[in-house]
Amino acid sequence: MKKPGKAIAMISGGLDSTLALAMIRAQGVEVKAINFYTGFCITETQRRKGGRQDGTVPQNEALRAAAEQEVEIEYIDISGDAYLDMLLHPKYGYGANANPCVDCRIFMMRKAKEVMEREGADFVFTGEVLGQRPKSQRRDTLWAIERESGLKGRLVRPLSAKLLPPSIPEQEGILDRSKLGDLNGRGRTRQIAMARELGLAEWPQPAGGCCFLTDESFARKFFDILVQREAAGEPRRIDRDDVVLMTTGRHFRLSPTVKLMVGRTEVENGTLETYAGDRRARLVARVHAGPVALVEGVPTWEERQLAARIVARYGKGKDEPLVEVEWRDPDGAVEVLEVEPERDEARVEQLRI
Amino acid sequence: MPPPDALPEPVQILDTSGLLCPIPIVKTAAAVKRLADGDVLLVIATDPGIAVDMPMWCKAMRHEHLATFKDGPSWKSYLRKRPRAPRHAP
Repeated sequence: MKKPGKAIAMISGGLDSTLALAMIRAQGVEVKAINFYTGFCITETQRRKGGRQDGTVPQNEALRAAAEQEVEIEYIDISGDAYLDMLLHPKYGYGANANPCVDCRIFMMRKAKEVMEREGADFVFTGEVLGQRPKSQRRDTLWAIERESGLKGRLVRPLSAKLLPPSIPEQEGILDRSKLGDLNGRGRTRQIAMARELGLAEWPQPAGGCCFLTDESFARKFFDILVQREAAGEPRRIDRDDVVLMTTGRHFRLSPTVKLMVGRTEVENGTLETYAGDRRARLVARVHAGPVALVEGVPTWEERQLAARIVARYGKGKDEPLVEVEWRDPDGAVEVLEVEPERDEARVEQLRI
Repeated sequence: MPPPDALPEPVQILDTSGLLCPIPIVKTAAAVKRLADGDVLLVIATDPGIAVDMPMWCKAMRHEHLATFKDGPSWKSYLRKRPRAPRHAP
């Protein structure tokens, strides 16, 4: 006779975690799902910007998976300072971009352990598959994540469990090891067959990178900020406003300490307007409609002119000989610069971050 | 979606205007925890994601989703807290 148990499921709503959820529930285990909000999710950002180009709003896949299987779900907001600090000092280093996947997993698993204890659950499980990702899902890193999160023996990867040492819930008879998976590697064929067998209706296409930290152009902006802060003699840090701004607008580096951000859409202009705060100057063309832009740092006269010229370039007055650009300093002082829109494409491209 | 005049009077109104998804759902979850079973909550949001998220969240949590509709610049979402049925895995 199998013992009843309770588990915490870390789900993204992708095929693997949806499958893991169905497998564990099929063993008669009570499940509560959790999903982490890091602030770096590409889908969430896309939703904020008004959805896809065809006007549809992408659904939150974790919610969809929980709704489909009628499993209670809790969102956990980890987008605060402790998470941002981990991003800057990853013990296991970065992947190809600004993605410290192993450290991020450890961070999340520690939170999952807290939920497990609070809920009186027996174990935590994920949709991780041995060998699926080059770094974070190798045998040695899966083990490092388990050990460093404090979940030793209580972190189950149902899809690959038969290839891993038996976990405590397997030893205690909460889970039947013979009904767990032995998946290895990157293929999806077996997962899809298993999903059909378990009667799952829907699963999303592989997201590839659903996290901005794995995105090359995002990583450039991420490391650029750190270099800028160091050049300005400020602490090497990233805050929540930076995270929003890094995914908003075109970014130009005017000098080691001065950066220009120019909105590309109405929504981005609105976001930049909101995030001007007391650290950034706000630029907008006066007569001709155009983007909202922000400047970080203390620019020279030449850099102010250049910033205004770039802002003019992206507005309706781009073909006019002169355009008036209003410059509002963080202290509220306003100056109007009359400039020729920047027409040197190569120069603009050179400044782009 | 029933017309707004057919909806019950909410016990509490939660305004999440300006907050971005999924934070309106995080706040909704916290508010629902403090309600009594059968109470109606009205959530106001400006993030259009609520129209997709709220019905799914209610289904997952087994609350009754009454309606979600656009009202001027914001969205209104009504739900009724249900007594938590004992959970049996399949």
